[in-house]
Amino acid sequence: MSERKNDEFINYELQEFKLFEPLFKWARKKSLWIVAFCTGCGGIEMPPLATARYDFERFGIMPNPAPRMGDLFLITGYVTPKTLKRIIITYEMMQDPKYVMIHGSCPINGGVYWDSYNVVKQFDKYLPVDVAIAGCMPRAEAVMDGIMEIMRKIEDGTADGWKRYRENYEYYRKNQDELFGEGWREKDARRWLAWI
Amino acid sequence: MDMNEKPKVEEKVEEQKPQEVPEVEAPKLPDTKEGKLVAEVLEKAPYAEGNVRRERRVEFKVPADRIKEFLELASEKFEMLIQISVVDWLKEGEFELVYQLWSVSESVHAFVRTRIPRENAKMPTVMDIWPVAETYEREAHEFFGIIFEGNPRLGPFILEPREYEKHPLRKDFNMLGYVKTIYGEDFDRYDESKTNYVI
Ligand code: SF4
Repeated sequence: MSERKNDEFINYELQEFKLFEPLFKWARKKSLWIVAFCTGCGGIEMPPLATARYDFERFGIMPNPAPRMGDLFLITGYVTPKTLKRIIITYEMMQDPKYVMIHGSCPINGGVYWDSYNVVKQFDKYLPVDVAIAGCMPRAEAVMDGIMEIMRKIEDGTADGWKRYRENYEYYRKNQDELFGEGWREKDARRWLAWI
Repeated sequence: MDMNEKPKVEEKVEEQKPQEVPEVEAPKLPDTKEGKLVAEVLEKAPYAEGNVRRERRVEFKVPADRIKEFLELASEKFEMLIQISVVDWLKEGEFELVYQLWSVSESVHAFVRTRIPRENAKMPTVMDIWPVAETYEREAHEFFGIIFEGNPRLGPFILEPREYEKHPLRKDFNMLGYVKTIYGEDFDRYDESKTNYVI
């Protein structure tokens, strides 16, 4: 084991364990912990989703306040540049594997804010997205449907946004820097996160 | 029952008191509680114009240099500041500020309008009359670039700190051009040839 190269060690999580992988995938699918970043109107759909009517806990889904323990990252509405900084930092804090679900038309293409000066138009330029739910706003059923979709995608291994983020990090980083200006992590993020 | 009774009372009063109205101002003020309220304010502030729009809605026009004086006076009757809204009259080169006041005791909503030139727009703050004005003035400052002298919180734009000089709600702000430069042009919606137009 000591011969293992540094490179291999870094990409440890990217490797697949052929024998146990189906088990792991099943386990991941059945225990999604949600980090809900309720940015816009879509945040209103979270309470009915969590409470008795649609009760997502029966699928093993749990709202979770700590990004360090989350699997599923929910962006529930319009994203302003100011919010996007927080979203990116939160996303990077989450453990791999992590899945991103965007919620509503706004993160997809700006939605009704399509020519607004302060709403990010294409969310997937800045972070990889696994499932996008269209609609303004999608009802809790649609969100459930999106969650089922992400479960299917986890099972067949196509929910690979976290891999894409690593592989195309330059692309995402470039877009982020274009929007916020170079050195935004040092300038802004350090104010909230001392260790960056 | 109340709804039915009130107009009758007012009709009776109207017959008695039309003599008082011509004393006040050119636009005739109706003899309702709104009319009386306007007359009362205008008596103390003859430089302003006032009229009644409709039930529970009155309107004042005040020259910009006396706005503070007027609002101080009006705050005796109108205890609450609801909003400071700004209208950008681009062709006339003016900003119109609308102070929206609410009278808690009389249940009357008042618009106090004033116009200032667009260039180097400056106003005295009304924070000492209504502390809540701090927020509204900051908003007007961010969106239109009006400077409220005496307000300590006129900081950089709260949402987008890197573009302080932009005042996005001014009529001459090129929104689409700004969006293109900031967020990139690779959206179908901005396709000028409209081949891939989405909306
Ligand atoms: S898509 Fe509609 S509901 Fe969702 S954040 Fe945008 S405006 Fe609000």
